[in-house]
Formats: sequence, structure tokens, C-alpha cells
Amino acid sequence: MKFSSKLLLCTMIVMAIALGLSGFYFVNSVFETSLEREAGQALDENSILCFAFETAALNVPAKYDVLQDSTVEQVASNLERSGQSTGRMIRLSDEEKQPLFASDGFETDDELLAQIDAVTRAYRTIYLNGHYYIQTGSTVNALDRVLYLETLRDVSVVFDERALGFRVYRQITLAMLVLGMAIMHLISFLLTRPIRLLTRATRQMAAGDYSSRARKVSNDELGQLTLDFNHMAGALEENINKLEDEIQAKEDFVGAFAHELKTPLTAIIGYADMLRSRKLDEEKSLLSANYIYTEGKRLEAMSIRLLEIMVTRHGQAHFQEVQAQALFQYVQDMFRTNESMRFTYSCERALVWAESNLIITVLINLLDNACKASEPGSVIEVSGQVCEEGYLFRVRDHGIGIPKEELEKITKAFYMVDKSRAREQSGAGLGLALCTEILNLHHSSLSIESAPGEGTCISFMLPGRDGAADEKNGSGLSAHREGSEEE
Amino acid sequence: MIKILIVDDEKAICDLIDLNLTASGYHCQTVQNGLDAIDMIEKESFDLILLDIMLPGADGYDVMEYIRPLKIPVIFITAKHEVRDRVKGLKLGADDYLVKPFDVVELVARVEAVLRRYNKADRELTAGDVVVDVEARRVVKGGNPVVLTNKEFGLLVLFMQNKNVALFRETLYEKVWEDEYISDSRTLDLHVQRLRKKLGWEQSLVAVYKVGYRLEVPQ
Repeated sequence: MKFSSKLLLCTMIVMAIALGLSGFYFVNSVFETSLEREAGQALDENSILCFAFETAALNVPAKYDVLQDSTVEQVASNLERSGQSTGRMIRLSDEEKQPLFASDGFETDDELLAQIDAVTRAYRTIYLNGHYYIQTGSTVNALDRVLYLETLRDVSVVFDERALGFRVYRQITLAMLVLGMAIMHLISFLLTRPIRLLTRATRQMAAGDYSSRARKVSNDELGQLTLDFNHMAGALEENINKLEDEIQAKEDFVGAFAHELKTPLTAIIGYADMLRSRKLDEEKSLLSANYIYTEGKRLEAMSIRLLEIMVTRHGQAHFQEVQAQALFQYVQDMFRTNESMRFTYSCERALVWAESNLIITVLINLLDNACKASEPGSVIEVSGQVCEEGYLFRVRDHGIGIPKEELEKITKAFYMVDKSRAREQSGAGLGLALCTEILNLHHSSLSIESAPGEGTCISFMLPGRDGAADEKNGSGLSAHREGSEEE
Repeated sequence: MIKILIVDDEKAICDLIDLNLTASGYHCQTVQNGLDAIDMIEKESFDLILLDIMLPGADGYDVMEYIRPLKIPVIFITAKHEVRDRVKGLKLGADDYLVKPFDVVELVARVEAVLRRYNKADRELTAGDVVVDVEARRVVKGGNPVVLTNKEFGLLVLFMQNKNVALFRETLYEKVWEDEYISDSRTLDLHVQRLRKKLGWEQSLVAVYKVGYRLEVPQ
């Protein structure tokens, strides 16, 4: 059953009970008041009749100073006649409570009669032959006789009025219920609107539309629920998007990996097949062998890089305080043999919190990229400086640069801006991906500025140690090391 | 002479295809960039284009859009092996699809098949005084028809498509019998011997030690 229907039904039941009870009590209290009034009038009438009877009895000439039964009957029939127009009926009984005179239709039992004595008047309401009557009874003292006078007063009208009252009230109640039902239907429809909106949003989300939201239409608890639901949906959507992005990234990686793997494999297999099945001249066999060698090297480089990424991703780095200048020294030594480029090194002394081998890998990769992007003989600047947030490493080249639209993609695995150029230098497109992984481990990231034709500047920040600043101040000045190169 | 354009961003692959197709008697040109490929197609006319999908400049699908109105047959050569990639390529109008890494023998066979479909390949293969009409399955030696069995004919076509190439037993068996090669099977050798006898190729169709057979034809 729908919630709105339940609401409607409950309201209707409560309304029906309330209207019914109040109507019943109202009509009944009116009826009881009327009945009491009628009873009072009936008793008054009874008193008047007693008086009239006593007066009449006195006026009848009595033979033996005793009121005869026949006289009583005569007086009673006179009294009855006088009240016939009002439908009043009377009965007179003697001392033994045996009826002396009774109007036509006065056919009640003697229960009331039994209650009457000299000092008690009594009345009751009875139903007789399709009419309601108030029966009253009292004693009459006439001469020396004690008689009992009972009257019946027709009060059907009062009962009819009560029935009419009930009927009218029932109709009013029904009308009110119908009207109330219509109004309550509308109200419950409006009240449950937020629920319906929420339900719809939930269904849409279940069907996969994670961007659907419920509209807030009220400020009550349901409105709050809607807000909370939307909040939850937002969080969920974000998570799902993130997951989808991750899956997409993984798929891209696998696709790129397959491509990068298949291309050298195709070359190796193809040339090897040629070598084994054709009679090739010396030049062609040399070419084939060379291709097999270079493509094999490429596969090797790729597998080493991939392994490094895996290890970085899953391995535990051992962080320690490292002298920044020691890192630069290491890299400088490493590239000393590279005579085609001019390297300049400048670094401030400081301690950084890092895994030194990994950071050296990053620096080597960045320098390697810088060399590949630059023409022989151009300058590559490597610098390190202390900042407020930590220690900033920077590698700047004056090479070909990176187009703006490629900047976002270059840290993706297997991405190469200029493929043929990267191939010639046996790049696997994994260097920056590895750097990103390593820096993630250090809670840092690469920031890249570049302009095509002008060169690229790649920098990253490592958190310094508390002691780092002291160290620097203690040394008085930053040590500048100009690594100049033999040209 | 049939001109083939090879578009692949890897020089190694370009050269590989070039060497093999040139040996099979085609004239090849290579290009490593999508935009350059479009330029070349504009300038010259080709009989067949071998097209990689991941290309710098314009990717293979873009180049394909450009080629389609020219009605030049195209074979896609790519590392993308998923069905939807293949379907996309074929829907764009490619004639065939070759997934890396591929076999050189397969490459040559597919090139021939596509060219034959376009009636660009010679229906006849020639080696010395032997002429083979592939469509009509007719073999003529020095003007006299030679009767060959199905398998012998298949072998002959393979040899003639790959002149001066050592064909491995496995390759021959798998292509002609379309079944897995059993290492000590003599079936293949028996068929080759009968073929030699029927065509008088005792000298030309030489056994290569531990490998298979090679049809040697003076070039």
C-alpha cells in the first residue's frame, strides 16, 4: 500500500471516528434535554390531573360519603376526554392497584404502579404500539380513598427528532468525509512528493545514471533527507568516476603496453625470419641484425623501466635525511661523460627527507629527457634551492619544448610527444611515468612549464627537515657549485 | 610494376615490409607519418596501401578517410587486435586486417589476395618456364599442361609466391594442409618430391637442411 494511501486511510478513520462520536453525543444530549423537559411537563400534567380529579371528586354528590367506583370511572372519563386532543391517556387504579378506569390503548404492565406509594411520584419512558410515551404515576386522595393515577404522554416527536438528528448528522458526516478525503488526498500527495522524487532519483541511479539528483521541495526532515541523499549521490558519483578513470587509465596502459610490446616483437620476429629463410646480401643481413639488436634493446629498456615502476609502486621506500648537494654531486658525476651538452649545476645546501636512490633516478630521468630534447651543445641548468615549503629541484633545458596540449599527457606511461625522435634515442615513454610514481611516494609531484621552441623547465618540491634551515644558516652562505664542462 | 605504399611510424617495421615485398617483386615506398602519407598519395598513385593505425600527424583512420574516394585497396597493419578496432577499420573500407606481430609469409599472401581481388595482381605466376594460373588452377610447363593434385598445387603456389625464400616445413604444412605439423611426418616430403618430378625441378626446388625447401630462381 502506498504511503500516501496509508496516510489518507488513517486520517479518514480518525476523522470518521471523531465525527461519529461527536455527532452521537451532540444529538443524544439534545435528545436527553428534550426528554427531561417532556418528563417534567408530564409530571406537571399529572399533578394538574390529580388536582382536577380531587376537585371533581369533591363536587360529585356522594351518597355514603364514600367515593364509588362508578363515580371514579365517570370522573376519569371526563378527564380523559378533556385531554383527548393531546393524545393523553390516563389510568386510575384502586387501593389494591386494580385498574378502575383506563383509556383505550393504555396497556402497560404494572411495574410503575408497583413503585408508587403515598409520597412517591414516578415516571418512565416506554414504547407502546409504535409510539414512545412517558408514563407517570402518583397517588390521588379523594375523600377517603387513595387511588393511583397514571398518565401516558406521547413523546414520539422527541424520538423522531433524535432519529432525524442522527440521519442529518450521518449525511453531514459522509459529506465531510468525502470532502476531507479529497483534501487529504491532495495533502498527502503534496507531503509525499519529496519521497517520490527521491525514489525516482534512486531508481535512476540504480539504472546507472549517477548524475541524477532529487529536487528539494520541502524544508522538513524529508528535505533534509533529500539533501543528504544528494550529498551521498555526489560522493558516490565522484567515487565511481574515479574508479572509471582508474579503469580507463589501466585499459589505456594495457593497450599502450601491448602496442609497445608488439611493435619491437614484430620487427624482431620479422627480421629473424628473414635472416633464417632468405639468402640476403651482407648489407641487408647487417641491417636486419641491427634492427633485431636495437628492437631487443628497446624491449629490454622497457622491461627494466616497467619493473622499476612496479617496484616503486609496491615497494617500501626507506626515507632518511639526505644532503641535497650529495644528490647533485652524484648526478653530476654520472653525466660527466656526456660531453655533447653543457650542464650547469647550482644548489643550496640543505637536508631533504627522501629516499636518495629514487630521487637520483628522478633527476637522471629528467636530465636524460633534457638531453634528448636539446640540440648538442645547448645548456641544461640543474638547480636546487631552499623554499618555505621545502627544497625545490629544477631542471631547465633550451630544447624543442612541449606543445601545450601535450603537457597533461606526458606523464602517462608510453606517451611520447615525438615518437620517431624518441625511438631514435631508444626511449620507451616510461621515464616521466616512473618519476611520477617516485614523487607520489614522496607526496610530491612534477610541475612542468614549457614552450615549444624555447625549452622546458621541470621542477619538483621535496619537504625539508626541521634541521635543514639551521644547517643552511650555519653554513653562512649557500654553496654554489658550477659544474662546467669540457667542450 | 605494382606500387605499394607502406605507412608505419616504426622505421624497423617499414623496412621489414619493404624488404620482403620488394623481394616478392613489388615496388615499395615507405613513409612514417600520416600527413606525409596523405601528401604522397596525392602526388603519386599506388596500387595498394599498407596502413598502420597509430600514426603521428594524422592517424590511420584519418588517412583512410582520405584514401577511400580514391578506391585504392588498403590493408591495416596494427597492434590493435580488439574486435571493435578491426570492425572499425573494415567498416571504413579496409580490405584486410593484419595484426602485429605478423608472419612475413602471411603478409605476402594477404597482399597477393587483395591485389588479386582488385585484378591488379597477375593471375599468372611465372618461374622459369613454369606458368601457374592461380584462378584457373592451371599449370603449364614449356607450353604443356601439367596435372597436379590439390596439395601439390597449393605447395607450388606457395613456392612461387616466395621465390628464393626458405619455407619451413611447419609453414608449408600449416598453409597447405591447414593442420598442425607433426614433426616426423613424411607427407610433405613425398609431395615435394612428386612436385619436383612433375615439373622437372630437381635442381630448383632445393631442400634446406633442417629447415624445409626453397625455390631457387635466378633473379
